[in-house]
Amino acid sequence: DSHPQYERVGADVTMKCGSMDWDAAVTWTVNGTDIDESHLNGSYLILKNVNLSQSGQYSCYEGSSWHLKYQTYLRVGTPPKEPVLMCRSNNYPKGFYCSWHLPTPTYIPNTFNISVIHGTKDMVCEKDAVPKNRCHIRYLQLFSTVKYKVTLTVTNALGKNFTTLTFDEFAIVKPDPPESVVAKPVPNNPRRLEVSWQNPSSWPDPESFPLKFFLRYRPLILDTWQHVELSDGTSHTITDAYAGKEYIIQVAAKDNDIGTWSDWSVAVHATPWTEEPKHLTTEAQITETTSASTSSFMAPPTTKICDKGAVVGSGAVAVCWTAGLVVAAYSVLFI
Amino acid sequence: MAAADSPSAALRRRDLCSRGIRLAGKMRADVVDLLDAYVEQQGLDASASVAVEGVPLAAVERWDEQTGTQRLLENLAAYRAFRALLAQMLEEQREQLGEADAGLGRALAAVLLQVSAFAYHLEELLRLESRGVPGEEEDGPPPPPRLGLFEQKLRGLGVLRELAQWAVRSVRDLRQLAKPSPATGAAPALAESP
Repeated sequence: DSHPQYERVGADVTMKCGSMDWDAAVTWTVNGTDIDESHLNGSYLILKNVNLSQSGQYSCYEGSSWHLKYQTYLRVGTPPKEPVLMCRSNNYPKGFYCSWHLPTPTYIPNTFNISVIHGTKDMVCEKDAVPKNRCHIRYLQLFSTVKYKVTLTVTNALGKNFTTLTFDEFAIVKPDPPESVVAKPVPNNPRRLEVSWQNPSSWPDPESFPLKFFLRYRPLILDTWQHVELSDGTSHTITDAYAGKEYIIQVAAKDNDIGTWSDWSVAVHATPWTEEPKHLTTEAQITETTSASTSSFMAPPTTKICDKGAVVGSGAVAVCWTAGLVVAAYSVLFI
Repeated sequence: MAAADSPSAALRRRDLCSRGIRLAGKMRADVVDLLDAYVEQQGLDASASVAVEGVPLAAVERWDEQTGTQRLLENLAAYRAFRALLAQMLEEQREQLGEADAGLGRALAAVLLQVSAFAYHLEELLRLESRGVPGEEEDGPPPPPRLGLFEQKLRGLGVLRELAQWAVRSVRDLRQLAKPSPATGAAPALAESP
């Protein structure tokens, strides 16, 4: 009967046909296909310098009777390299999670074992159902100076490897990015944008463990960001936006006292309010917009104060003059 | 506990908590700076494991279940202990004093002052709740045996590390205290334990 046989990439593999003598007449197949006799030494199958593609079901049949004498499932793979482990608390002070992966695949099944020690105490890291390579742990103590030591061991049929992380309670605190970031122009204010957001939903108690925020924004046409740090509140009004220019805005969060900044939130775009033009075009605007060839142009949701009455360019095309820059960008794509 | 529940008392408590939070925040920043300077000037390894006998540990289980009174009492006991420990460190510092350490001595003295001020602040909060402020023990713990120079330095590291943790914990504790009362009308967590 079939049982898996694990071999390393590059190994030389010799398969015996069960209890058959060396000089018995046999036929070997792999996945149902006959194997050429050149690979045989007597009744032994010799596979030199095996590679991944040679994984499969190997069967050996007695020459004349075609009785199945031996069968094995060969799986070619590698022993595990040192795994990559990271631990983070995005739900402080409830606990933290650790997640891991292998830097390169082994092509055979691996088991992962994780141990967490706090001082002399062993803690249990409960494995998550989804995602698989992750476990979480509840803090039993807070404000401890004693470090946590997390060791991850990965084992497969060809070998094992491990890695260790040591950290203290505060160092791994990193919230998830703020959610529901919204940026809106402010009516009658050509240099303002109103930005608001929410605490990440994974942060359990923002009242007792308040977050502070970092806002960054820049017009699409420039590379350098403006930054604002906000110690409380979940909104901010930008007051120095360039009139008429579309902005990209992101927010990050950090516990007020400990840990590190979150990743940046999803970026939102917004353009400050602009006054309705008295004349339809100037020379500069015609140059900017006549290259637009699309007639169905979807404006980004949070932005355009676009007066349908402001029509520029050739008859079939209705384009907001305030979106000249963006249109120019799109037209480059469509031409 | 009528006095504790009056609107003016609630306002005063909130005010004391906000100021306490700011004090603790500043104290923490200064302790962290002092810790860096201390490690460097004393030639220590910042990650060294240190025995912390006699140093109040900030680590606590079931922190979220503590009552307001517990928080205040534990904080007060800790900062009183730190006051004594820092005073001792300062004295040891003066004994070992070299020119290079004068700045360290000043920084230590500044932190000691903040620790004293914070302890007093905590006493104010306890008084507000009509809680008796526990007297300082007359005898106190027996003075620790004289340590060798290196042991003194390591102990100092342990003291400052725990103090930095306490400063963070105190901010959290005061925020809990400052939370508005639940529907019962009694100050949350500051009521007598059942």
